[in-house]
Amino acid sequence: MSWLNRRFGKRKREEELGEEVRSHLQMASQDRVERGQAAVEAERAARNEFGNVELVKEVTRDVWGWGSLERLMQDLRFGLRMMAKSPGFTVVAVLTLALGIGANTAMFSVAYGILLRPLPYRDADRVAVVYMSYFPRDFKFGTMCIRDYLMWKENNHAFEEPSLFMSQRMDIGGEEGVPEQVQGASVTVGFFSTLGVHPLVGRPFAAGEDQPATGSLAVLSESIWRRRFASSSTVLGQTILVNSTPTTVIGVMPDAFRFPGQQTEVWTNLLLNPPTRYGPWFYRGVARLKPGVTLEQAQAETNNIGLRMMQQNPYYKRLTLPVLGLRDALLGTTLKPGMLVLAGAVGLVLLIAVVNVTNLMLARATLREREMALRISLGAGRSRLVRQLLTESLLMALLGGAAGLALAWGGIALVRAWNPGNLPFIDLVRLDLRALGFMFVVSMLTGVLSGLAPALESARADLNSTIKEGGRTGSASQTRGRARAALVVSEIAVSLMLLVGAGLLLRSFVNLQGVTGGFSTPPRQILTMLISPSNRKYGYAPAGLAFYDELLRRARAVPGVEAAAVTDSLPPDRQGDADSFGIEGQILAPGEGNPIISTVTVGPDFFQALGIPLVKGRYFTDHDNRDSAPVAIVSEGFVRRFFPNQEVVGKRIKHSGAGSDDPWMEIVGVVGNVKYLGLTVETDPAYYMPFAQSYGPRVYLAVRTSGDAALLVAALRRDIQSIDPDVTLAQIGTMEQALTMSVSQPRFDTMLLSLFAGIALLLAAIGIYGLIAYSVAQRTHEFGIRMALGAKRTNVLGMVLREGLKMTVLGVAIGLLAAAVLTRLMASLLFGVSATDPLTFAGVGAILAMVALTACLVPARRAMRADPMVALRYE
Amino acid sequence: MAEKRERYQNRIELLQGTLDLLILQTLQWGPQHGYGISVAIRSRSGELLRVDTGSLYPALHRLEKQKWIKAEWRISENKQRAKFYQLTAAGNKQLTKERSKWSQLSDAIAGVLNPEQR
Repeated sequence: MSWLNRRFGKRKREEELGEEVRSHLQMASQDRVERGQAAVEAERAARNEFGNVELVKEVTRDVWGWGSLERLMQDLRFGLRMMAKSPGFTVVAVLTLALGIGANTAMFSVAYGILLRPLPYRDADRVAVVYMSYFPRDFKFGTMCIRDYLMWKENNHAFEEPSLFMSQRMDIGGEEGVPEQVQGASVTVGFFSTLGVHPLVGRPFAAGEDQPATGSLAVLSESIWRRRFASSSTVLGQTILVNSTPTTVIGVMPDAFRFPGQQTEVWTNLLLNPPTRYGPWFYRGVARLKPGVTLEQAQAETNNIGLRMMQQNPYYKRLTLPVLGLRDALLGTTLKPGMLVLAGAVGLVLLIAVVNVTNLMLARATLREREMALRISLGAGRSRLVRQLLTESLLMALLGGAAGLALAWGGIALVRAWNPGNLPFIDLVRLDLRALGFMFVVSMLTGVLSGLAPALESARADLNSTIKEGGRTGSASQTRGRARAALVVSEIAVSLMLLVGAGLLLRSFVNLQGVTGGFSTPPRQILTMLISPSNRKYGYAPAGLAFYDELLRRARAVPGVEAAAVTDSLPPDRQGDADSFGIEGQILAPGEGNPIISTVTVGPDFFQALGIPLVKGRYFTDHDNRDSAPVAIVSEGFVRRFFPNQEVVGKRIKHSGAGSDDPWMEIVGVVGNVKYLGLTVETDPAYYMPFAQSYGPRVYLAVRTSGDAALLVAALRRDIQSIDPDVTLAQIGTMEQALTMSVSQPRFDTMLLSLFAGIALLLAAIGIYGLIAYSVAQRTHEFGIRMALGAKRTNVLGMVLREGLKMTVLGVAIGLLAAAVLTRLMASLLFGVSATDPLTFAGVGAILAMVALTACLVPARRAMRADPMVALRYE
Repeated sequence: MAEKRERYQNRIELLQGTLDLLILQTLQWGPQHGYGISVAIRSRSGELLRVDTGSLYPALHRLEKQKWIKAEWRISENKQRAKFYQLTAAGNKQLTKERSKWSQLSDAIAGVLNPEQR
């Protein structure tokens, strides 16, 4: 109400002032007319005498005192005028801020979308995924078997009804369309209610539907429903084929539901048949914490359950049941550290941008000293000046933020287009209101940060010295010069830290690229695809083997194919199975279990196709078939671990353990190590079995080609599907693509951090250039005199370079120390390089020093060319 | 810019403090509007003192804010609606104070300029 009154009071006063001035002018011209002047002339003379009407009004209004709003508008208008007056300064400052704010807004959107956006599940932070980890298998987040699950469930108090699930590829087909292979999951009945999701149509699994003798049921994703059933509600109750098993559709889940995988499209009911033995270890648990129970308490309970499991089964060593919150489970363990490092880095970029703009403002403050002195002499209070200057820097920051928003929009579009493949939720990342709010807050902070010091500094302007010195160099500009030098030093230090981080990531990425998967065929000449023939027709060996014989025969006939083979595992990260095994004649120490290692089933030509070297013995041949004696080939790592310094060819091993019913397999050869668990994983021992003796219907086809493998996809697909149109082909791609995909996360981190470090380097270079150029401009006169007195040009050059060198050396030294502390935080992202790698530190320090000195060289050469005559003439 | 600044500074030196006195004194002879005050000061100073409108109006508004003068819209002798200022009681007191200050100052300056007359 009072505000309203003030508004109206102000308007009335404004009108009265206008009328007062008008009446003054009228009376003045009337007087002149009475003294005999012509009306028109009299009016003009009166106006002349009065002076600038607007100015008079403005100084009069000042007397009234201003409301904060009016003052703000006035400051804004003035700020805009100042910015328009020095467009070069404005453009540089706004662009600098745009880079900083834009990069931060983009990074915020990506990080928020991936790390922070609420998951579309009821109280998602109460849901946890439960894994199993034990020696000798040693997967940190491994899987459990149904016996383990039953034991957990029996002893569980921390969670509401625990559920079990298993991810797997599923072939779906039926009357509705051509068969296709999709990602699916088998889940127990509590799965959906644990996650708190409801189907769009139909129902979730009901109690009892995971018991033996229940029929096969499926819940479909909205995407499949749309794609294969045109979103028709008649899908409910319809029978489709899932892995060749007739399965009844009971519900459809909304697209927002994506668990356990981003691409999961089918959920079938997992049947909990009473297990007769331990294994297979295919499953993970998902459960909702009971009210009041924390994740830590749940972890403590599962640790106890783990102890009991070990007591019951001496085969398990160092067994734990790790519990991860749902989000951590979805993101994996490698994504978050990278994101955090990037977020930190982009924050540092903004810091450098702020420092740069602060520096620019300080430089300009020197130029505006006289303006400030004048304002103070006219009675402007210091707080008034600070407010005016802060308004200017805020305005600048907001403009920078607006431009940054455009940058962020482009940046996000870029990240989405170039999705490194394993960034979950990336399709949900967008520039939304939240990002807008973030941009606004960051801009305001930036404006205050970059403007406060220069504003306070300017408002301190010493009237007398400024006016006396005629504005050349006062004591104020000297402190300001020191402050600016300190800022440049910090800028160099911060960008050095970023560069070191980027350098370390680059080095580990190069190391990663240098890791071979253990095969010598060029990756672009290897084409792989996952083949799934119908289980019903080819589920068992005789028919299945005949199918694959025909398939390989046709594949080899395709022009350009040099070798073709089947395998259930592929480097660099498509592991097949892992199993325990026993060695003939080996006596296990009491309590010692049979080791578990990767097992790989391959067709005869597999080693030749990929170029895996034979170390000893022989490769598999066509004669290693169902009728011949079981054989195996082992890796060098296997030999090193289980048969060190022994002849291994001729030894016999078997599945599960020495006491099992499985047949002995004779080791006939030793091959080089191949990575099946990812490039960064240390060599993992493995043994190979011939496809004919270890048949499974779903395997990869691996083809070596004479040229670019990608060109043969269409021909191969046509030939394979001409054998049987129900065969589905999935994950088609070259080995080159697979390798690229496997390092996409480090590549993403490396590229972004390098980009940020590059921006930082550029800004730091601009910063030091600006400072030196400014100081050279200020000292042109001095240089001229020095040269007139006999100083050589090189002396002057040296003087300027020394000034830059001092800042550079100090900045690099501080930066190296800080980097040595900070890079420890990114140790988990590094591969084959230490967090304090001396080579990176030295190299980056040298690069930065060179760039900084180059930035000094330009103004230094200008100083060198100072003309003594010109300088003296000004004296 | 430079020229304007100079003019501004001169005026400050010439009129600082004295303009208030001149305005209050002028109003003691009766209510008057801004134009009338400037005309009065000019003619009574023998055309020597010309009051800049950029100083006059801020001064009037400031004196009004200090409640030494008050304003009223009236019709002037030549049928013109104008804002007339008139002295308040507080303004009268202020005028006495300013006058004595002024005479002290001018005595002091005269003393400095003509020391032998002491």
